[in-house]
Amino acid sequence: MKGSIRLGIALALFAVGACASLAVVYSITKPRIEAQDQIALEASLRDLFPEGEVFEDVSASITSANATVNISSAFLAKRGEASLGLAVKAAGPSYGGQAVLLVGVELNRSIAGVRILELNDTAGLGANAKNPGYYVDKTNKITFPGQFAGKYVTDPFVVKSDVVAITASTITSTALTTIVKAAADAGVLWLENSALAPSTDQGPGASYSGSAASESAPATTGGN
Amino acid sequence: MELAKIFIVALLVNNVVLMRFLALCSYIGMTSEVGQSVGMGFAVTFVTVMATAATWPLYHFVLVPLGLTFLKILVFILVIASLVQLVEFYLKKNIPGLYAAMGIYLPLITTNCAILAVTFENIDYGYSFIESIVYAVGVSLGFLLAMVLLAGVRDRIKTSPVPKFMQGTPILFIASSLLGVAFMGFSGLIK
Amino acid sequence: MKSLWKTFKQGIIYENPLLMLMIGLCSALAVTSSVANGLGMGLAMTFVLLFSEIVISVFRKVIPNSVRIPIFIIIIAAFTTMVDLVMKAYFPDLSKSMGVFIPLIVVNCIIMGRVEAFASKQKPLTAIFDALGMGLGYTWVMIAISAVRELLGNGSLAGIPVMPASYQPILFFILPPGGFLVFGLFISFNIWLKGRMEKSAKERA
Repeated sequence: MKGSIRLGIALALFAVGACASLAVVYSITKPRIEAQDQIALEASLRDLFPEGEVFEDVSASITSANATVNISSAFLAKRGEASLGLAVKAAGPSYGGQAVLLVGVELNRSIAGVRILELNDTAGLGANAKNPGYYVDKTNKITFPGQFAGKYVTDPFVVKSDVVAITASTITSTALTTIVKAAADAGVLWLENSALAPSTDQGPGASYSGSAASESAPATTGGN
Repeated sequence: MELAKIFIVALLVNNVVLMRFLALCSYIGMTSEVGQSVGMGFAVTFVTVMATAATWPLYHFVLVPLGLTFLKILVFILVIASLVQLVEFYLKKNIPGLYAAMGIYLPLITTNCAILAVTFENIDYGYSFIESIVYAVGVSLGFLLAMVLLAGVRDRIKTSPVPKFMQGTPILFIASSLLGVAFMGFSGLIK
Repeated sequence: MKSLWKTFKQGIIYENPLLMLMIGLCSALAVTSSVANGLGMGLAMTFVLLFSEIVISVFRKVIPNSVRIPIFIIIIAAFTTMVDLVMKAYFPDLSKSMGVFIPLIVVNCIIMGRVEAFASKQKPLTAIFDALGMGLGYTWVMIAISAVRELLGNGSLAGIPVMPASYQPILFFILPPGGFLVFGLFISFNIWLKGRMEKSAKERA
């Protein structure tokens, strides 16, 4: 019996030692790790809305109508009192796991741009979506995410007819397009609910038959 | 339908051995005959599912609320090691034949990267409990599949004229490469 | 001093973990699609191996024999977690591209094998040289395999385009089957080399 207790104590001592040293390393690296994601996010936000000065976090009031796409956060780009657009960070399944995209939505319901934050698809195939040197339109030098810029949310998003797919990577192309569409839809819905999107030819007050509307009004006054 | 997709992807499209290079030591070491491969495959399936059932709740209900997620690697590997010990005791007592046949490869299940990888990925991919179990089953059956395939191929290799410098391990890798190319064809299965 | 040097050399060539002992293969194939990944993995593995061997060697007389495996696991897992955290904090892109293989260092057979066979029985100084030799042996093979795969599969080395612009990269090589093929050929070449070395040693005798 005494032998077993000795063994147990030895085991416990090592376990405690290991956990303690890990706790120390973790506390040192944790702020840096969390900062990394923030750094990447901020860089992408500025990239989408170069004139934006402040990016207000409105994540609490945005929802995704698409069950497979998770909207993790949304940021309202503002310059002074004027809102420029909404950046929506969405994650959805792609070929190699989850893909995380940042989709910018302009006030006129068009897409400001798409930035790929995380993508783990096959190198040389699906991963080319992230590759700045890979063009789906070689003459005009347009990348896969680049082709969404300027596209209206109401336009069709069918891969291979409206959206150019990456060669031999239909699954990745479809997956990413789904995420872009879901994020853009959610973004436009939010903008309409916040009365920031000016009414178009669809008439005032018209909005998508999306799911939950935002309960809490954002603390911004949209200046047009 | 999501569950079926997770299963098919784990089993075929992203086959754990041929497409992701995991569990190679057992793959090369325990495929000298089909019976061995099947036994190993089922043992791994059992341990993987049990490990998932143990680690998923452990992570979500203990590590996360206590803010101890950095202990994930430590805790998961210890859980797997303990499970393998239990399996060993059970086999030794109840199925001594299988225990003897598996020999040293039984404790090696602990270092089977596929099992640990599955437990990590259940967390990283944000799977629910059911999804994790389905994923675990898919991956381990994929392992079984790859093992049986290679065992079959090895059988044929025994009676084939292999160039001298390819004999032994090299030809197995070349064969696996070709198996892998075949498996890449499965990527068309999911839309 | 001479025996320390010999210990070091063993890991690099004669007992090279990947080519001769053929352990720790999973990461060797999965992470060698580019030189940056191969190098990063080699260094990460060497770090975990080195510190695990040191700690276990220092405590070798104190660790009870019957629970040595769980204790080894605890120590190796601790250092693996440290590498994982440090990489996530300071090298996030590399960490993401290596994905699950950094945490998988904990089940890398090389580390468990060396720790059990060597560090638990040798003095710390010897263990250090063994770890460095094995780590370096692992790393150079990783870099060699990655160089071939990245060069043929992507036309670049460490991200720098090397092949002429007209070279159409053979995607096969950075995909999994290519990994198997390149590694198979490496081992095959190694067996041939070993045969030649043994033959010339016999002829000299």
